[in-house]
Amino acid sequence: MSTTSAATATGSTNFAPPNVGERGSDGFVRKMGREFLLAIYGALRTVKMYPPDNPVVQKTVQEVVRLANELLRVEREVELRVSGEFIFINATRLRLDLENYASFSRIISAFRDAGVGLCRMRDGSATRDWVVFLTLLQNAAVGDQDGRLYALGEKLAAAKITAFELGPPTNVDEELRQKAKEAAKRTYAQSVSVTKDVINSVRMGRSPNIKKIKRVVQGIVDQILNEETSLIGLTTLRDYDEYTFTHSVNVCIFSVALGRKLGLTRIQLYDLGVAALMHDIGKARVPVAVLNKPSGLAEDEWRLICGHPWMGVLQLFAMRGQNDIPYRAMIVSFEHHKKTDLSGYPKHVRPRTMSIYSKVVAVADAFDAATSRRAYQNTPLSPADVLQEMRINPHRGMDQVLVKAFMSLVGHYPVGTLVVLDTFEMAIVNAVNAVPEALSRPIVRLISDEQGNLLFPGTIVDLNQMNDAGGYARTIIKVADPERYAIRVSDYFV
Amino acid sequence: MTSPTIAPELIENELPDPPCPPQLVEEMLRHFARSIKTHQLYLPNNPIYQRAIENLRAAFAPIWPHTQEIVLSITEADFRWLGRSVMHEANRAESVPWVFFKDGVRELTMMQGIEDDELVSLLRILQRVRNAAPEEDDLLTLMWEQEFTRLRYRFVDINLDAHPSFDAPSEPPQERTIPIVEDMRAEEAAQPERKSGIVRMEDLDATLYFLDEKEIDYLRGEVAAEQAIDLPRNVLAIMLDIFEVQENDKVRDEICGNLESYMLNLLAAGAYGAVGYLLSETDQLIGRASALSPVHKQRLLALPASLSDPAVLSQLLESLDHSEVIPKQSDLDSLFDQLRGGVLGTVLGWLKQAQKPELRTALERVAGRLAAANSAEMVKLIGSSEVSVAVEAMRRAGELKTAAAVAPLAKVLQQPNVELRQAGAQALAEIASPGALKLLETALNDEDRDVRIIAVRAIGIRGHRAALPRVEAVVQGKSVKGADLTEKMAYFEAYGALARDAGIAPLDKLLNGRSFWGRRAGPEIRACAARALGIIGSAGALESLRSATADRDPMVRSAINRAMRERT
Repeated sequence: MSTTSAATATGSTNFAPPNVGERGSDGFVRKMGREFLLAIYGALRTVKMYPPDNPVVQKTVQEVVRLANELLRVEREVELRVSGEFIFINATRLRLDLENYASFSRIISAFRDAGVGLCRMRDGSATRDWVVFLTLLQNAAVGDQDGRLYALGEKLAAAKITAFELGPPTNVDEELRQKAKEAAKRTYAQSVSVTKDVINSVRMGRSPNIKKIKRVVQGIVDQILNEETSLIGLTTLRDYDEYTFTHSVNVCIFSVALGRKLGLTRIQLYDLGVAALMHDIGKARVPVAVLNKPSGLAEDEWRLICGHPWMGVLQLFAMRGQNDIPYRAMIVSFEHHKKTDLSGYPKHVRPRTMSIYSKVVAVADAFDAATSRRAYQNTPLSPADVLQEMRINPHRGMDQVLVKAFMSLVGHYPVGTLVVLDTFEMAIVNAVNAVPEALSRPIVRLISDEQGNLLFPGTIVDLNQMNDAGGYARTIIKVADPERYAIRVSDYFV
Repeated sequence: MTSPTIAPELIENELPDPPCPPQLVEEMLRHFARSIKTHQLYLPNNPIYQRAIENLRAAFAPIWPHTQEIVLSITEADFRWLGRSVMHEANRAESVPWVFFKDGVRELTMMQGIEDDELVSLLRILQRVRNAAPEEDDLLTLMWEQEFTRLRYRFVDINLDAHPSFDAPSEPPQERTIPIVEDMRAEEAAQPERKSGIVRMEDLDATLYFLDEKEIDYLRGEVAAEQAIDLPRNVLAIMLDIFEVQENDKVRDEICGNLESYMLNLLAAGAYGAVGYLLSETDQLIGRASALSPVHKQRLLALPASLSDPAVLSQLLESLDHSEVIPKQSDLDSLFDQLRGGVLGTVLGWLKQAQKPELRTALERVAGRLAAANSAEMVKLIGSSEVSVAVEAMRRAGELKTAAAVAPLAKVLQQPNVELRQAGAQALAEIASPGALKLLETALNDEDRDVRIIAVRAIGIRGHRAALPRVEAVVQGKSVKGADLTEKMAYFEAYGALARDAGIAPLDKLLNGRSFWGRRAGPEIRACAARALGIIGSAGALESLRSATADRDPMVRSAINRAMRERT
């Protein structure tokens, strides 16, 4: 049994080590905050369409006031902060899903257009305060960011509105980011360790610990819901020696992140995560020598490899608990090498419809496998090339809508891609740009200067930033092969 | 186990001042512990349970004016609040702190409002955890799934390694210069056209990456469809597919074993539809699978056979009778349709045994389907030594008008058991074949009044004229006078139906005539005669009825009026 000191109870974001944690604290804010934002979205629309004294405006704004007061009552202070594509209420990041996608985007745009990064609400705000604020927010002045914010502040002051304290956009707190990164590293390492343990247990004929699997998937789901960038960054590790294990974890991370985009609930993400983590468990029944054979597989050996999906079904059945049969994991194991027209392998006899979970895992699996170095693939493909192939080649049999959603998740240049900029600096993609229109302009870490001198750890820059001349300061001109320059991408994420 | 370090014990004079008397928290926790027990013992609609929950909710009320949250640190035997023990329970079997501690929870924060809904969810989780087998979900997983909003907890995960190894780079990359500038210039010089890896602007079309409404709807539909999947059935289909495609004996052995144990899991979970699907698919697979060894064939055949065993099936029906929810009729039908001979007897026996009316109704339908599909078995069951089974078999034989049942029914009419004879007569009445009606003639002499009534009614309704002399003898004889009104009426109705106009004269005599001594027949006989005349319904019969309309007896007048109204 492990010994450990306890996590400190600061804040509500769970960045504690995976075996020490704090849960359940921000559920209220998440639930109420979501309702609050939906109400603001509704009010923004009505304020734009009707005069301020219209009953529809009054009604929608009153709902905003009610929810703001409810939040203030419980939380004592309420700060709405927009950071990149995320919206935070106090320290809690609200979840974006298909249901609230439009409202979140609209609010983020309205805040950004007005140069507002945070809005602190004071107790006792009235309907009029909100009507004026929301009206002004949508009629932002032109000019630079500070100027727009200043102009909005002046107008609010002139209208004698003191219920809001506004601030400029801020980057996500560096300390918080660091904590998230540390937590992601622990979650990732823990997940690889558990996956290794499970697969090795199966190989040795022992019963793997199912509780461990559940716990690491819970950790991954929490991490993706709180701050996915750090965890997705770690998928670049793609350790050759540990490929089987890191691949399973990477597929789990990508699947859960994609599932989040599809609006799956937390429990659904958990089911998807378990299925994704276990999708290749059937390989534990394939001899290691065959799995690691670099080339020249005999027909029998190839048949063994192709049998891993159905072997996975049998293995998962053998691992089941008394009342706990991993149905979805079994289905995903069976279907993850099938194409959307149900061709592919293994063969099926009875009519079936492919599960969306299997389609998600198929996309994540294909992406991670193609971008990794493994026994029979010495040179991994660049993430950008893989995405393009998945998009344009129908013979891959991927669900094209999911591929599209996956691309919007990982961007034109997925995290970990080595790129050359027009300044001749080299950079590694660190995160997708939060600005939806800037998918080709990710957040990158510069790893060499204009002369090619290697930098470590390098600096983070936003490729959407403009220079004084009104053009982009930096633009990607090329995707490069890290091996060619002996760059270990993971050095910059760990 | 290592003690948690979350709440280091403080010496008495260093303890912070509590916002309210600790007794209030102690009292709340006492109610909490009581509610956990009550939750285990009673259903939610039980008044004792409801009172316990009300008391627990009320115990929070005096605390909230002083603080908005109660932070409890947890040790093996204690809940501690601000350094003070507010619940101590050394006996682990009884201890609430231990339930939390053993699964790694080291601190629990109850926030104002927890008593509204989430408290009951927590009680439900604690009950599940207390009853859980070691391999089942622990407290942390169940609490994670619940996603509490008014309950915060800190934990030490005893299942995970505290210090997982991580292959982090031990040293930063060495300082060096990357020949990128030279490479770029060389590339430009060598191949001015686009090379792989060079960005194309058409790839950057943002519309390629944003989902439109139609695509969002598609994904929504897929997610909804995912939730509607019949998971057990889907997994069974996969297993059977693997069985069919993989001809390896070891694989098939494993799958046979899986199916055998899984069928029990499914039955225990009440997934009867899935079991029905399994048996039906297995049946088809046996006829289709290539290279099926005799051993595997036997194991597959054994699946329905094992379930059809009366002892096993009785177990299943008993568990159904005790379960809270009766499965869908279609699920039950699909299961029973796949079972083998001998099942009908067990089901028929359970029709009387079942305590739940819903189950009886469901089994009625199952029995009907089984009887229709297995008439030979049904006929055989007419001779069952179990009266309830024989009675139900006769009922089905009657409903299905099974002519093959007439012979065993003839034996039933000889049985001393009245219930059997009544059921037998009823079945014969419904079958109504010439053979059945012939047998009913003999039943007119049965010593049981109900048997006789069933027989004579059937004879009348079916117009079995061969029985007229027997019926006439009763109607015109003296024996009818000793019968009750229902039996008299049955005989007279049958007589009217069989005799037709030939019966008018004797019936008129009974209705309107007088004896040599000037006495009239009794009012019951006159009323019965009127009814029989109504059934004849001809002009002569009506004339006879009209002649009696002034009868002094109200029962007779009423019978006449009814007969004239309803004459056939």
